[in-house]
Amino acid sequence: MLRCSFCGRRAVYHRRYAGVFLCDRCLIKSVERRFRRAINENKLILPGERVAVAVSGGKDSVACMHLLHDYCRGKRCELVAITIDEGIKGYRDESLPIARENAEMLGVEHHVVSFREAFGATLDEMVKVAAQRSTGLNPCTYCGVLRRSLLNQAARELGADRLATGHNLDDETQAIMLNYIRADLSRLYRLGPGYSPRQGFVPRIKPLREIPEKEVALFALLKGIKVHLAVCPYASGIHMEVRDFLNSLESNHPNSKFMILRMFDEIKPHLEAAVPGFEARGCESCGEPTSSTLCKSCELLQGLGLMRRRKNLIFVEPS
Amino acid sequence: MVEITVKVVGQRTRRLKVDPGTTIAELLRRVGQNRETVVVRLNGRIVAEEERLKEGDLIEVIPVVTGG
Repeated sequence: MLRCSFCGRRAVYHRRYAGVFLCDRCLIKSVERRFRRAINENKLILPGERVAVAVSGGKDSVACMHLLHDYCRGKRCELVAITIDEGIKGYRDESLPIARENAEMLGVEHHVVSFREAFGATLDEMVKVAAQRSTGLNPCTYCGVLRRSLLNQAARELGADRLATGHNLDDETQAIMLNYIRADLSRLYRLGPGYSPRQGFVPRIKPLREIPEKEVALFALLKGIKVHLAVCPYASGIHMEVRDFLNSLESNHPNSKFMILRMFDEIKPHLEAAVPGFEARGCESCGEPTSSTLCKSCELLQGLGLMRRRKNLIFVEPS
Repeated sequence: MVEITVKVVGQRTRRLKVDPGTTIAELLRRVGQNRETVVVRLNGRIVAEEERLKEGDLIEVIPVVTGG
């Protein structure tokens, strides 16, 4: 039997990049410590703030909500959860009840915002129209842009000071590599533990950014947290290739992901001069903040013959 | 050789013969799974992939990397 390098109990994990074995208790404690350290060192959340967390029902976002729930209790912060229902049959309809169940269990206020209500169509329907119209855009483009826009609007309407997402070390290193491959300096510059763009955008934070995806999964499984572990049916293409490449690299050369992250964090302060700033204004169609006359969401929706339907996403019952 | 049972979630259960003392990490390579993307239960307990296998072991492989 392999033993924990710290307490001698039965090991559940070999953290190869650090050369240590961890038992269930030490792994959970380590994840909690890294989570708090990421928040404190980067000042991601200030005492008394209202924090919105994006929760899909997957392990990362659900773990993030549980960790934030504990953190917020000690810092007099308020936590509110938002789930975007993109309308992906056989996937989101399975994860959404898990998000709701976890929020209820923790007593976290939970709001669901759907593509159908906001845009008049589900992602499944958009994907069909995109294929008929040969837009050449893949489902992840529509989903990513539209989901981020709804999350921002919902968080803003809920009066949130921060919008937390469950992005882990794997997500962040994949994004770094993808932006290198696409030579997209602006998007590369936006990566990091926190991003505070212009007026109208709720500052986004990623408190799991320094925790490998496998450790987030172990944290959820060992804590007995109910999570959805399925893969999105639309996941394909270069994202998957980069993910597989990084996992193969990490498997053969432990610590590679952290080194990619550290190098990016070293480079980032020098990128500012090379990235043009922009003045945020209201989209002429939906009014959401954008750098051009039409926001990216409305541009994509127009290409599908759709438009943003609802002006307000959040309706709170009068008490 | 010792006989073990391998259950990869989402795939059919397999019985395999391996050399005594084979590690779970070696087994994962044999069944085409990257250790960075899975959590392994050995006889119902989550374990580190350096654990060694013995006759009659049941290995459950849970793919946990879902991002993209």
